Amino acid sequence: MTDEDVDKVLQKTSRAASQVDPALLSGIADSINSSLRPVRPLPPTWILTGELAVICAAVAMTAAARTGFYGVEKLGLWERVLIFSTLAILVWMTGKEFVRQLIPGSRQPLSVGSILTIGSAALLGVFAMVFRDYRTDHFISAGIACLLTGLLLAFPAACMSGLLLRRGFAVNPVAAGLGGGALAGLCGVTMLELHCPNFQALHVLVWHTAVLPGSAAAGALVGWALYRRSSAE
Amino acid sequence: MNSADNLNTLMARYQAGDCAAVTALVECVGPQLHRFFMAQTASRSDADDLLQETWLRIHRVRHTYRPSEPVLPWFYAIARRVRIDHHRRASRTTALERPLEEVSDAAATLPSEEAHWEELETLLAPLSESQREILRMMKVAGMSLEEVARATSCSVGSVKQKVHRAYRNLRERMTAMGPKRGSSRGLS
Repeated sequence: MTDEDVDKVLQKTSRAASQVDPALLSGIADSINSSLRPVRPLPPTWILTGELAVICAAVAMTAAARTGFYGVEKLGLWERVLIFSTLAILVWMTGKEFVRQLIPGSRQPLSVGSILTIGSAALLGVFAMVFRDYRTDHFISAGIACLLTGLLLAFPAACMSGLLLRRGFAVNPVAAGLGGGALAGLCGVTMLELHCPNFQALHVLVWHTAVLPGSAAAGALVGWALYRRSSAE
Repeated sequence: MNSADNLNTLMARYQAGDCAAVTALVECVGPQLHRFFMAQTASRSDADDLLQETWLRIHRVRHTYRPSEPVLPWFYAIARRVRIDHHRRASRTTALERPLEEVSDAAATLPSEEAHWEELETLLAPLSESQREILRMMKVAGMSLEEVARATSCSVGSVKQKVHRAYRNLRERMTAMGPKRGSSRGLS
């Protein structure tokens, strides 16, 4: 038995004559035609990704401007370049993946889960390189304050991103929620790096990085809840 | 102009609000999607429901199609998702509704047609769900590796690997069943 033999059997069994009722097809066409309006196709992925990146930057900068740029002022030049270029790359990658989730049948070289893993690992690596103060003063209280601030800031970023990419996500709402949550989480991390003057390594490694998976998990939960609600209707 | 170009043009006209393009698109893609669903459910009534639900969803997200992108993966990604949603909904209610479903399915599907699709399902039964799905897309829908990869959100390498494993499983199974299998499929 060769692959060609298997192929022949598959070809033979899959060529079953399946006639669709013409009335069904004309019913579908009539139903669509009754509510047909012209729509504008989505703009290119890079434009939507750019808009998402602008939203993230604007939300993080606005929040940091209100609370103070204490963190970024304490950082050296190369530390600023390393941290914020990493965040910019991650925002671009995650935004691109979030946009791809909107488009059925789009090419997806990396899954949202892979990007989340890569993003968390990249942040841990950069933070471990930059921050060398290994004290743990007020580890829990200061940490929870930063985590909550990051997550709270992720909320408006997620809402604005969702508003930009509304009317879609026909394929996988949970993965879309994960992507949107991860993008909003990166916005929260960016704001913390601009604002938080606590440079203790463990604080940054644990609590700042936790904003990313925390926000992504919240996004996936929202996607799942919306999916359950729509499938129950 | 080949079939794919024709579908791309029809989709662009559909987005522009052309009623004739909708009718042509439904008549062109509808039977393909119906076959895709028949290959999975072996029930005409289920396939009809899935086809209608798929077109409703296609209509809702028609703005997400870009004329520069291949059109078949776009259709099949939506159809695949509708099938998954339907399967999940059905599995939540199967325990209560199964006897009625069986009665309606038996009445709704022509015996020879049902037997044909069930034959395909029996053949693919030992494979994993993802392997079955990929073979159905390739053999029933006639899609390329690249198109299947897009429709299933996988890489082309992953699709190739699944096809390779599926063929190996089928080859081993058919070899083990030998002449009995061959005669039942008209291979001997």
